[in-house]
Amino acid sequence: MTDSKVTERDFDLSRRSFIDRVLMATAAAGVAAAAPWASAAVAGEPKQADPVRLGVVGTGDRGRALIQNIAKTRNCAVAAICDTYAPHLDRARTLVGGGTRAFADYRAMLDAGGLDAVVIATPLDRHARHCLDAFDAGLHVWCEKAMARTIADCGAMVRRSQAARKVLQIGHQRMFHPTYLNALKRARAGEIGTLTQIRASWHRNNSWRRPVPADATDRQINWRLYRDSSAGLMTELATHQIQVGNWFFDAVPTRVMGSGSICFWKDGREVYDHVALIYDYTGGRKLIYTSLLNNARYGCEEQIQGSRGTIEPELGRFYQEVPPKVLALQRMQKDVARGHKRTVPIGGATWFPELPVTTPGESLGWGEYDETMLQFEGFGEAVRAGKPLPGLLAQAYHASVASLLGEQAMDSGEAMNWPTNLVAI
Amino acid sequence: MVPALAEVERFVAMGTRIELHRFGPGDADALAAARRAIEAVDDALTIHRPSMTTALNEKLMSGQDASIDDPVLFEALVAIDQAYSATLGLFDPAADRRFASVGWSDIIFDRATARIAATRPVAFDFGGIGKGIALDRACDALRSAGVGSACLSAGESSIAVIGDHPLGGGWPFAIPDPLQTGQMLVELELHDESLSISSAVGAGMLAPERAAMIRPGDGAVVMDARCAVAIDRQGARAEAMSTALIVSDDARAASLVGERPKHRFLFDLSHTAAMPAPAAGMQVQ
Repeated sequence: MTDSKVTERDFDLSRRSFIDRVLMATAAAGVAAAAPWASAAVAGEPKQADPVRLGVVGTGDRGRALIQNIAKTRNCAVAAICDTYAPHLDRARTLVGGGTRAFADYRAMLDAGGLDAVVIATPLDRHARHCLDAFDAGLHVWCEKAMARTIADCGAMVRRSQAARKVLQIGHQRMFHPTYLNALKRARAGEIGTLTQIRASWHRNNSWRRPVPADATDRQINWRLYRDSSAGLMTELATHQIQVGNWFFDAVPTRVMGSGSICFWKDGREVYDHVALIYDYTGGRKLIYTSLLNNARYGCEEQIQGSRGTIEPELGRFYQEVPPKVLALQRMQKDVARGHKRTVPIGGATWFPELPVTTPGESLGWGEYDETMLQFEGFGEAVRAGKPLPGLLAQAYHASVASLLGEQAMDSGEAMNWPTNLVAI
Repeated sequence: MVPALAEVERFVAMGTRIELHRFGPGDADALAAARRAIEAVDDALTIHRPSMTTALNEKLMSGQDASIDDPVLFEALVAIDQAYSATLGLFDPAADRRFASVGWSDIIFDRATARIAATRPVAFDFGGIGKGIALDRACDALRSAGVGSACLSAGESSIAVIGDHPLGGGWPFAIPDPLQTGQMLVELELHDESLSISSAVGAGMLAPERAAMIRPGDGAVVMDARCAVAIDRQGARAEAMSTALIVSDDARAASLVGERPKHRFLFDLSHTAAMPAPAAGMQVQ
């Protein structure tokens, strides 16, 4: 469902411009190989007739946002919605056509048929069950990140998709975003030199706790705060940024060390409200990750740091390592401009204080269009072809494993090595 | 005279900040070409990341000989070979604190076959001469691009100028006393020349990770309060000479300065109140 103020022509123009920017970013040498899913997703115009029929399981805030993005696509349609919590289902009904079937039981939705694929936006601990059942029902699956509550369940989802020969796609929208693809293009072209470190953070200043209506339980609404249903900051936020780290380093971590605590919001929650981790990669490279819930100054960002520059994709900025000006030579320039020649004092210290760079950097380009739409168009074409977008699932699987491994490192207080028994994709 | 149009390129290379100022006519991409020339030298000669030089050092340290395929590295080794003779053996980028007497004399470098070997484990740190070679190559690139007036700086201690100052005549520079604010050690004009300043005193010496000046022969760190200035048509030679003067004994310093007294200066800063000391028969100032 599109905004009523946006005309069909406006929509076409903005969509075309978005796709064009993705095409431009993925056309560069090295990027097509590093982001093959994005190249595939924009390779052709999706067929509008006979849209791929999706059943959305979980119609909370995220599920309803997905429904709105699905409505923007040219090749997918929501054919059914499902939620065990009636108020969420009622709100979702307002976003879909009157003929869309609604279910309180996802098994009933699967049994009713008439679907090509299922979209899963339920609490994390239910992803695996819903996903496996969808495969067993002969359907393809699009699932919110993180994949599952345990590394074993992540592997089970991959295995079942392979056995059933069905598409399993996980929601990592940054992998389709022109700004990230442009950043990747410039990093691959060597513009920031050798990448040695990524600092990533997701800092907020709120409790992450939602009000609980009278007809619901705290664990039902605030499932992100409890261990049995979520790994908290790691699975709900860090997964995105760990995927970015793996993507830009073109590797998976070798090990992770971390410290987690419930440091500020001592309100009965079970998951950490402060996490700090170091993910090691081969060659001494590092992803340094922090997330917390009582300071928003540095927000959500990845700082991709190379020997010649830094890319900050969330800010959409590109910084080159430009040193401060030599004041004597700067003065010489001004003297020449006004026709005045005088002696240039030279030979001062070759060292200069190492203060943060405060220049605004160069824009990487940002658009207001939502990349989640492109994810679903790509998913729709993958479902039609019966073949997943290349490279996508491996990225998602490894990001989920890394986030859960980080939780284990914090819980145990020990460095955790990258598992050797992961499913091959 | 009408001021010439100016352009500037600033970036980090050779472990320091580089500034390239060009004036007047020349190709639009002249500065970009000069930057590429400097970065190519950095890529070949750096020892702070994998390079042809680190590969060579690994071989020489393990007792193997090596073939020099990289033209920049070959040019650097030729420049060292020449500078070693020209500085009476005082400029020696193979000198090493870890191995007291090791140095260029342990190197067997055959220019004809471009092969190198060492009689003892040895490793190069091109440091200053690398900056000189980089500026020389950048000047060549600018001249090839039709630039007739430019000033290049690598960390303020290495300067090269092309042609005349944009307002005519030479390029006037002053070398400040590193110990006395507002005092100048020397003022001079450059014409199509390079200038190198080496100092064993001053704020720069306090910089983290600053490499120590090594005296060839015994590998000792130079502790004398000195500042040396050398001017030459070639930046590489200027760098070698200023380094040689800093690590020199008095007799050899006097000999080297005496060869070109208007182009080589050595300041003894151990008694700053008397700076600069009178020549007094010795060309060491």
